[in-house]
Amino acid sequence: MSESVEEFFTELAARHYEPLLHSVSGTVQWDIDGEGQWNVVINKGNITVSRGAMAAASTLSCSKDCFLALAKGVQNPLTAFLQGKLAIDGNIGLAQVFQRVFENPQGKAMKAMSSRREP
Amino acid sequence: MSENTISILEGNTFVVSDRRGNIDASPTSPTGLFSWDTRFLSRWILTVDGKQLSILSTDELDSYFSAQFFLAPGTGTTYVDADISVIRKRSVGEGFHEDLTIANHRDQPVDLQVRIDIAADFADLFEVKDALPKKGKYYHRIKNRLLILGYRREGYVRETWITTTEQATIDEHGFSFAVHIEPHKEWHTCLEVDVEISNMHILHNAVKYEHSALRVRPDMQLGLAKWHQSAPQLTCDWPWLGRIYQRSLIDLAALRFNSSLVPGGALPAAGLPWFMTVFGRDSLITGLQALPFYPELLEATLRQLALLQGTRYDDFRDEEPGKIIHEVRFGEMTAFEERPHSPYYGAADPTPLFLVCLDEYERWTGNENLVRELELEARAALNWIDAYGDLNGDGYVEYDRRNKETGLENQCWKDSWNSILFADGSLSRRPLAVCEIQGYVYDSKMRCARLARTFWGDPELAQRLEKEAAELKRRFNKDFWVKQREFFALALDGDGRQVDSLTSNIGHLLWSGIVDKEKAEKCVRHLMSDKLFSGWGIRTMAEGEGGYNPLGYHLGTVWPHDNSIIALGLRNYGYDEEAAQIALAMLEAARFFEGRLPEAFAGYPRNLTGFPVEYPTACSPQAWATGTPLLLIRTMLGLEPVGDRLATHPVVPKTLGQLQVSGIPGRWGHTDVYGKGRVAVPESVDHLERLMV
Repeated sequence: MSESVEEFFTELAARHYEPLLHSVSGTVQWDIDGEGQWNVVINKGNITVSRGAMAAASTLSCSKDCFLALAKGVQNPLTAFLQGKLAIDGNIGLAQVFQRVFENPQGKAMKAMSSRREP
Repeated sequence: MSENTISILEGNTFVVSDRRGNIDASPTSPTGLFSWDTRFLSRWILTVDGKQLSILSTDELDSYFSAQFFLAPGTGTTYVDADISVIRKRSVGEGFHEDLTIANHRDQPVDLQVRIDIAADFADLFEVKDALPKKGKYYHRIKNRLLILGYRREGYVRETWITTTEQATIDEHGFSFAVHIEPHKEWHTCLEVDVEISNMHILHNAVKYEHSALRVRPDMQLGLAKWHQSAPQLTCDWPWLGRIYQRSLIDLAALRFNSSLVPGGALPAAGLPWFMTVFGRDSLITGLQALPFYPELLEATLRQLALLQGTRYDDFRDEEPGKIIHEVRFGEMTAFEERPHSPYYGAADPTPLFLVCLDEYERWTGNENLVRELELEARAALNWIDAYGDLNGDGYVEYDRRNKETGLENQCWKDSWNSILFADGSLSRRPLAVCEIQGYVYDSKMRCARLARTFWGDPELAQRLEKEAAELKRRFNKDFWVKQREFFALALDGDGRQVDSLTSNIGHLLWSGIVDKEKAEKCVRHLMSDKLFSGWGIRTMAEGEGGYNPLGYHLGTVWPHDNSIIALGLRNYGYDEEAAQIALAMLEAARFFEGRLPEAFAGYPRNLTGFPVEYPTACSPQAWATGTPLLLIRTMLGLEPVGDRLATHPVVPKTLGQLQVSGIPGRWGHTDVYGKGRVAVPESVDHLERLMV
């Protein structure tokens, strides 16, 4: 579980490939208050992470708290967006699908429960 | 929508007004300017010298995004003094633009007090539907020629910006114009209403239309004219079919939804006014109905639903990995998680339907790329069926809700809370394994076996799926069969008891192919009996069942899309004349709705009412009702892809005479199909028919 923004992006960069994004390509830029900009370039599921200014298909801006809540999966990105906690400039769909790299706290409990029937 | 309203729409923005162009929303009436599931205008009333105007005529301009209102001062109850005329032209698109013109036909100059009363209640569509109070604060600002009405709740801010080109006196409740018009001259102003959501970068400078532009701006994939040109041409001796077909094409164009949430082509939204959003089930069924006409709709639907496919386990949203969404919403209640639609996954049938549609799409178009691209998603959906859909390990997909407060109680197409009843009228208890979903699962496994073998290079999966499907079919025909009455139970409840009402759901089973041949005959006899078939269509629930009510949303009304699927199922099992009979009944019913079938109509017998009785709050246009005539045309012509060609086997009702559709797109390129009316349908002419010709 990521306790800092930096930790989250370091872990994300180490994944290199996220199968749930296999059909997704585009650059998502996170602009996090007090933390600066992080760019996530997605190319058919391949992920590279960089810092600093860069052209992006979707720029997402929010507070550090909001970002960490999103990363831990306790804040839904669409409701954050609709509530005004998260601003999106550009492709909203790309921002929505980015949720797939975030954690799912309920998922862990479920995995243990359902492993019996997972084919 | 009622005959007394005019609706214009584009994407998820729409305006519903009265026939004078006025909006005067009561808390529960769905009139207003809506965008992002929020009402940005709840009052918009034009008066001249303090009085409302009379209607001379209203014109929807044969388009779905603009309308004109021709008005004159006077009460309309006696005679209209027509030396002043007023024209309002309105186009919707990210807000709306209105041209207001007043003409003085007198020989004398005239001075008029023109007023537009304005209010915005920023109601969430859910609040309009359920009449709930607001939790935030309203505010307004006035600048030069601009009135801003706003609403704030924490960081949730929605604003309506209204501007005028002519000088006006502005107060928080509207605009007043002191108008002087010389003899035989006109006065004109533009009024522009913009929807503002700053953190979405939806801003007042995003003006879409000027001066009632008559062309759709490019965010739609195809403009209306091009959309029409690309459709197959239909000719039919029965003139109504041409009209019904044209109406379907326009409404389908109107319902295309280009959500910025789901990039890619446009897919069908579910219906006006309540459901201008992406629905898993409705978008899939509509895409399927329209497949022989606009295959791109189903492709866009499949791609977009794949992007929204569940990847998480989330109780509030009833989400599980691999599950296809039920519905997405963007209003305040969704924002604050008072409703789970961000997106909501509480539906058990979209997942197998997604697989059925993926296969059907390839069979028609030959576009195998999509099947290869969505292999992972398809496998995740298959996994969902077995790992999550089957809640109690009995081999059937059942649903229950984990969101106990705001989740849907019934997660099948009949999704009202009281739709699944025993024959004595008592309510069933979840978890529920509804019959048609078992049919969809059977069909999806059979179809995915083909996909696995042909495209995914996985014969082992194919074999496993076929084995599971065969076993499901065998057990289903035993466990769901109500022996005493000889039809399939609506569902098995949590205790494994048969929910034994006779319903239209058995017709979907014929479409899926899960029904044993000898049982099909018995189902067909039930479907075509007076208890289920009203003369206008098959009722959702049979007359005589404990829960039957001809005006019950899912308990006796007739749903056109339901009938279109049943007719296709009847042909699957060789009941061609019965399919033709349903097709004709539906098309005849459409005549009474000016060619536009509503979501549902009352289940009264045809020989009692003589016309199909409107259901009070039905959506219209509604996507899968709009798609119904298209699927009926396919069914009557017996269109089936066989290898690389389109096979036909027409069973056209005599009433229609000759029916030809040319330019049907598919893996064969484009092809023309012709059918001659040979099937005599009993009692297709009633006493009103003669009057209406």
